[in-house]
Parts: sequence; structure tokens; C-alpha cells
Amino acid sequence: MIAYIVPALIVLLLVWALIKRVNVFSAFCQGAADSLPLLATILPCLATMLIAISVFQDSGALEFVIGLLEPLLAPVGLDGRLLPLILLRPFSGSAATAITTDIMSRYGADSLVGYTAGVLMGASETIFYTLALYFGTVGIKKSRFTLPVALIASLVAVITGIWFSYLLYPF
Amino acid sequence: MNVVFVLMLMVGVIVETIQKGGDATLASLLAGANNAVTLCLSLAGAYLFWMGLMGVLKKSGLMQLLSRRLRPVIRFLFPNAGEASGAISLNLAANMLGMGNAATPFGLEAMHLLNKRNPTPTIATNEMCVLLAINASCLELLPTTLIALRQVYGSVAPASVLLPTLLSSACSTVVAVILCKVLTR
Repeated sequence: MIAYIVPALIVLLLVWALIKRVNVFSAFCQGAADSLPLLATILPCLATMLIAISVFQDSGALEFVIGLLEPLLAPVGLDGRLLPLILLRPFSGSAATAITTDIMSRYGADSLVGYTAGVLMGASETIFYTLALYFGTVGIKKSRFTLPVALIASLVAVITGIWFSYLLYPF
Repeated sequence: MNVVFVLMLMVGVIVETIQKGGDATLASLLAGANNAVTLCLSLAGAYLFWMGLMGVLKKSGLMQLLSRRLRPVIRFLFPNAGEASGAISLNLAANMLGMGNAATPFGLEAMHLLNKRNPTPTIATNEMCVLLAINASCLELLPTTLIALRQVYGSVAPASVLLPTLLSSACSTVVAVILCKVLTR
């Protein structure tokens, strides 16, 4: 379905632009040109965030935190195999994807843990990256309540994600 | 954000230097920077394409039309969005369809437009906070990448994650919106 919606929208847009007698070629060029300053402002923000994440992850500090939390969360019924995914998700989309694919290939995409990992992956966002990027590009230094709200929202996504996966597990 | 950044960097550098030595630490730091360059390059193509389409959208007047049509909906969440409401609605639509690559340039455009109306340029406005909170909770109607991933790993029903994903991301979006509404009052 989705595969057809976007191309259809693009065609509609082009037809509309032709009716409106817009020079599509130059409008597209102009729009695309706007992406260059954007990319130039994104790169330093990305580098800043990714450098911190990279060294934090490689140092083993993250695994240490996970190791500390694991015995605390086991009694609640949380599958320990999901913990690295939950803790890494806010920081790194690629790391979270790597963990999810690892869980899926090891235990199967249709196993409960593989299914839940997928839901957690789909229902949450790399919030630290998003925040750094959005605020960084416009030079905002005080993000006010955004980080706490984003963290609470992703905690809600994790809790309800695990709960709904358990409840609606179809296999 | 600043505290989080410094903490991650400091703890990472100290722990890695003690455990693996200074060379490994430098390698990790540079690997992070290299990741940023690779990521930026892979984003460049997507941004050129989507921003190009947005250029056509603007020139043909469709963007203004979209903004005007969606203003009643957008106004509830972003009372002071002004000309940014078109970009905001594109960002939200792309997010819901699970197209992160398209959502980001629209979102950043919205941030630029919002910042033009910002009386205190280094402090985020209410609208910016709400936009970020909604992006962070990412209400997804069609998690396209996820479904593709499940298919690759041999799922017999790749789309079966749809309902739990939708429900839990809806819960987190609702919580984010309520919190924002309370905090911006």
C-alpha cells in the first residue's frame, strides 16, 4: 500500500505544479539548494553527539550500566535480552537496529522476544540525536522541558510496547 | 542536553583510557566523527531529493494551501506556528508514514521558520518544544522499515507488529502532548 501512496503523491504534485504553470525544474533546484546549508549545519551537531556516543559505547560504560540494571529489572518480568535495546534506543538508531536484527536472527522474528524487540524499535525514537539535530541547527541552547518530556514519552513507549506485544502476540 | 553530553564524553574517555588505553580512546572518538560524516553523506541524497520536492511544493502554492487547510488542527498543538504550519504538517505526516528521511528535512525547515518568530533566539519556544516532543514520541501508522526487517528475518506475518506498535506509540504521543500542554500553560 504505502509503496504506492508516496509515488502517487509525487505525481499529483507534479501535475498540480504543471497546471499552476510552475517552472518545476528551477523550483526543484532551488529547494534542493536549500538542503546544502542544512547539511552543513547538521554535520557538526551530528559529529558532536556521535563522538560522545561512540566513546561511551566503546568504553564499556554502557554495558556496565546495563549489567547493573539487569538484576533490578528481572523480578519485574522484563526479558534481560531486551535491556540493551531499550537503553541504547534513545542514543543510537544504528546500534538499536543492530541489536534488533541480532535478536531476530538468533531467536526468530516471530518469537516473543523478537516480536517485542520489533515493536520497541518501531514505537520509539533516537531522541538524543533528534534533539541535538533540531535544536543544534537553529542554535537553541536552552531546550527547556523537551528532554524530560521526550524521555518520559519514550519510557511510556517501552512499557506499553512490552505490554501490548505480550497481549497481542499472535503466534 | 549539555550535562548529558559532557557526562557521556567524560565517563567514556576516562573508562576507556583506563581499560583499553589512550589509543583505543582516540580511535573511538574519531570513529564517532567518521560516523557523522558517513551518516551526513548518506542523508545528503535524501535531503536533496525531499527538499527539492518541497521547493516545488512551495512554488506551486500547495504548501500555503496545506498550511491554511491544516491550521485548525495545527493550531491546537502549535498556537503560534505562523508560516511554519505547512512544514510542521509535512513533518508529522512523514513521521506517521515511517519515513524518517523525509521527516527530518521538513522538521528542520519548520524549526527555521519557528526560530524566525522566536523573541529569545537561544531559548526554545513552546512550539519548538512541542514539535520535538511529538517527533520524539513518533506516532507511526506504518512502520515500513520495521516490516521490511521482519520480512528479511523470516517472519510469516511481518505486518503483525502494526497494532502493538501503533498503540504504544499512540500512548507515548498522547503522554507527550498532555505533558507539553500542561508545561506550556
